[in-house]
Amino acid sequence: MPLIEAKGLTKQFRQAVKEPGLVGSLKHFVTRKYTDKLAVDHIDLSIEAGESVAYLGPNGAGKSTTIKMLTGILVPTSGSLIVDGLVPHEKRVQNAKNIGVVFGQRTTLWWDIPVIESFNLARDMYEIPVKRYKANLAEFTELLGLGEFMNVPAGKVSLGQRMRADLCMALLHDPKMLYLDEPTIGLDIAVKDSIRKFIRRQADERGTTVMLTTHDLGDIEDICNRIVIIDKGKIIHDGGLAALKDNYARDRVIHFQLARPPESIETIRAGLPTSELTTDGLRLSVRFDRFEHQAGEIAAVVMRHVEVIDFRIDEPEVEDLIRKVYLGQLSLTSAGEAALAPAGA
Amino acid sequence: MRGVTKYVSFSKASLQIMLVYKSSLAVNMIGTVFYVIAMFYLWQTIFVNQPGAMGGFTWPEMKGYILVSFLLNSVMTWYDEWTMGRDIREGLVAVDLARPIDFQAKRFADAIGPIPIELFSALVVAAVVAVAFGGVALPADGTHAILFILSAVLATITKFGLVYCVSMVAFWTTGMTGISVARMAIQNIFSGALIPLVFFPGWLRSIAAVLPFQGLVSTPALTYLGKMDWPTTVLMLTVQAAWAAGLILLGRLAWRGASRAVTINGG
Amino acid sequence: MADRLRPVRRGIYLYFRLLGQQMKSILAYQADFVVLLFSAVVVQLAGFLFIWTIFQRIPSINGWTFWQVVTMYALIFITEGVGSLFFEGTWMLGWLVWSGQFDQMLVRPVSPIIQVIAYRVGFNGLGNIVTGFTLIGLGIANSSVQWSAGRVLMLVVLVASAATIRVALNLGTAASGFWIRNPWSMVPMFVHQLGELAKYPITIYSLGVQALIVVAIPFAFVSFFPTAFIFGLDAWSLPALLTPFVAVYCLFVAVSIFRRGMRNYESSGH
Repeated sequence: MPLIEAKGLTKQFRQAVKEPGLVGSLKHFVTRKYTDKLAVDHIDLSIEAGESVAYLGPNGAGKSTTIKMLTGILVPTSGSLIVDGLVPHEKRVQNAKNIGVVFGQRTTLWWDIPVIESFNLARDMYEIPVKRYKANLAEFTELLGLGEFMNVPAGKVSLGQRMRADLCMALLHDPKMLYLDEPTIGLDIAVKDSIRKFIRRQADERGTTVMLTTHDLGDIEDICNRIVIIDKGKIIHDGGLAALKDNYARDRVIHFQLARPPESIETIRAGLPTSELTTDGLRLSVRFDRFEHQAGEIAAVVMRHVEVIDFRIDEPEVEDLIRKVYLGQLSLTSAGEAALAPAGA
Repeated sequence: MRGVTKYVSFSKASLQIMLVYKSSLAVNMIGTVFYVIAMFYLWQTIFVNQPGAMGGFTWPEMKGYILVSFLLNSVMTWYDEWTMGRDIREGLVAVDLARPIDFQAKRFADAIGPIPIELFSALVVAAVVAVAFGGVALPADGTHAILFILSAVLATITKFGLVYCVSMVAFWTTGMTGISVARMAIQNIFSGALIPLVFFPGWLRSIAAVLPFQGLVSTPALTYLGKMDWPTTVLMLTVQAAWAAGLILLGRLAWRGASRAVTINGG
Repeated sequence: MADRLRPVRRGIYLYFRLLGQQMKSILAYQADFVVLLFSAVVVQLAGFLFIWTIFQRIPSINGWTFWQVVTMYALIFITEGVGSLFFEGTWMLGWLVWSGQFDQMLVRPVSPIIQVIAYRVGFNGLGNIVTGFTLIGLGIANSSVQWSAGRVLMLVVLVASAATIRVALNLGTAASGFWIRNPWSMVPMFVHQLGELAKYPITIYSLGVQALIVVAIPFAFVSFFPTAFIFGLDAWSLPALLTPFVAVYCLFVAVSIFRRGMRNYESSGH
């Protein structure tokens, strides 16, 4: 029985079409024109307890809208959504007790009061048993290094400190689900790393279900085992990270550094018919499908024709892949071949 | 006078900023509008039961007084002590110190920028009220009208000088809202905005006479109505001008002290 | 039965918890706190001075005496003070909705209304309440009415109702922020400032204005009718007895508007 089950979940917004300026406002007052924007288009999503899911998509794809529906902030237009046996927007308060939310851009802490006071308020709001509260607080304080700024108002701490405090705030009441919206945005590498490790550890130890929206692929690699990609309101991929790489990130590139410029590119090309060669002075790059050839094969062919001083291999970058999806160059049809749109489309 | 152009552009910028926050101006106005309406009805009731004059004011004159008071209070509302607090908080003071501008002059330019809009809105409201109730006294005569305009200008300068001086407190404290409200409350009493000063008992009148506030409303309003004889008019206008100049000067001195503290301590 | 009341009790508890936190953070700025209190008192004293000055020259306004008008003022001050001290957060609703900060409140297992009203504390309200109660005390002292236990109880009910009406008007108009996506909308301030009119006996106003503040936006029930009761003016006492009902009605309408606004917010997105 999945923890989160969405079937045909849809959200349609009515937007008023208004010309700018005073004239537009008056016109709109008289004859109202609306366009309907389908932010989330009949998506099916099923998440089991304990999963860590990355929820990706270009801006405006429908990510935040989905999350808002899951957290009960937004009412769906149609479809069904059950989270831990509840309909979120109908049983908002009950659902709220089950969830922890971290907004990357805004804090869940109270701005003007010391961080510890925000935590104490959380204890009261979520009715956390005192023993459990103390235990969790002690653990998170140590793991996240909160001790140094516990008595400082949230408005006065650094971004990294605030994020760590927000994480603590979200987990104090042992929620079943943790929603993270851009949790590492604007943070430096060290802090990002510790936050990712922390989240991963909580998920492993407590079986918390994690749903993460992010533009940072480091987040995905460290925390999640499943990626859901949404674009224009529809889910275009739903599967494991490894499968994503295997299916769609098949390209590898070997960069060769040569002793002399190659005499004839054509001969080399002839030996590697399905690969793409580019050359630039003393450099030669070969792009190949790693399911068709092995790196060793490619290297062997090249070295037969030219003297190679050095070479390096580029691993498939999920980053590139996602970027291509966002740019519309790659459309991921269901678990099949990735269709490459012609460059410049 | 090339120096003036940069201050003119400050004023223009200030006006534009105010237009962005139009609703803020409207909010400020609403309060005073209802106050004026309440006053009109209140005094109407009083005058109905008391034919003739009260405190030397006829009903048309009282209406004129209330509306002039309203106009004068509506001008330069955009600038208050909070501005200085914000400037300090956001380090704008340090920025301005590094610029080739006179700090007080810049603040003055900022303060007068929105005046055209404030004045216009207030005039519209005053006109509506005047038409609704009818019979509002006009300036006593041409000379008094001109003197009134002069006095109104002096009143605006005085207001600026006053707020500027009080806002120096921002260097020592955080929130300025309370100070602003307190200043406005005291100002309302002693400027004659609440009620013409002549209604006050003797001892209160004496206090008001030595304070700068009467130049904000009482002096210009009485000039408008021609309620003072010539010697008194000249005297009051002189006193008003003296206070205006005095407050500006005091502000400059206070600023010199405060800015020295800023440059020594680093803001 | 106890179980159904539980959310109410929890709500009240959490409200005071949140409010208390706000108060603590404000008290950290002691100088500011003192100035705020002082300024509120000065403003109210100015009003008192105004009436006193007028009554030096005239015996009554439309038949209403000095202490009666003072009492009307006092009720406006007290109710405004209660609003500032306990429900100041309401003024922030427009901004909370516009900035998306309101989402935070929806994600917590606490009623959003409680979170909103506890969002801020206005200590100037304390000054208003103290001045107001002083003045109303003086007013009562000068009332020639016989104070029976029942009368005293009714007085308490009236003051509480007056405060409720004020708060309800504030909440209801602030809820316009759910539809008007302007962080500093004029609507709440507009209605709030109508209270200025209620400082004086409503008999001085034209019929139109009277209808406005009796029926449409019932400020008359905040100051005028309760004052009539305090001074035993039978002609106006009957409407005074309606005050608690008006209060309940206003509260009901305000909360309904808020709920509707929230529903609109949840369906229309932001």
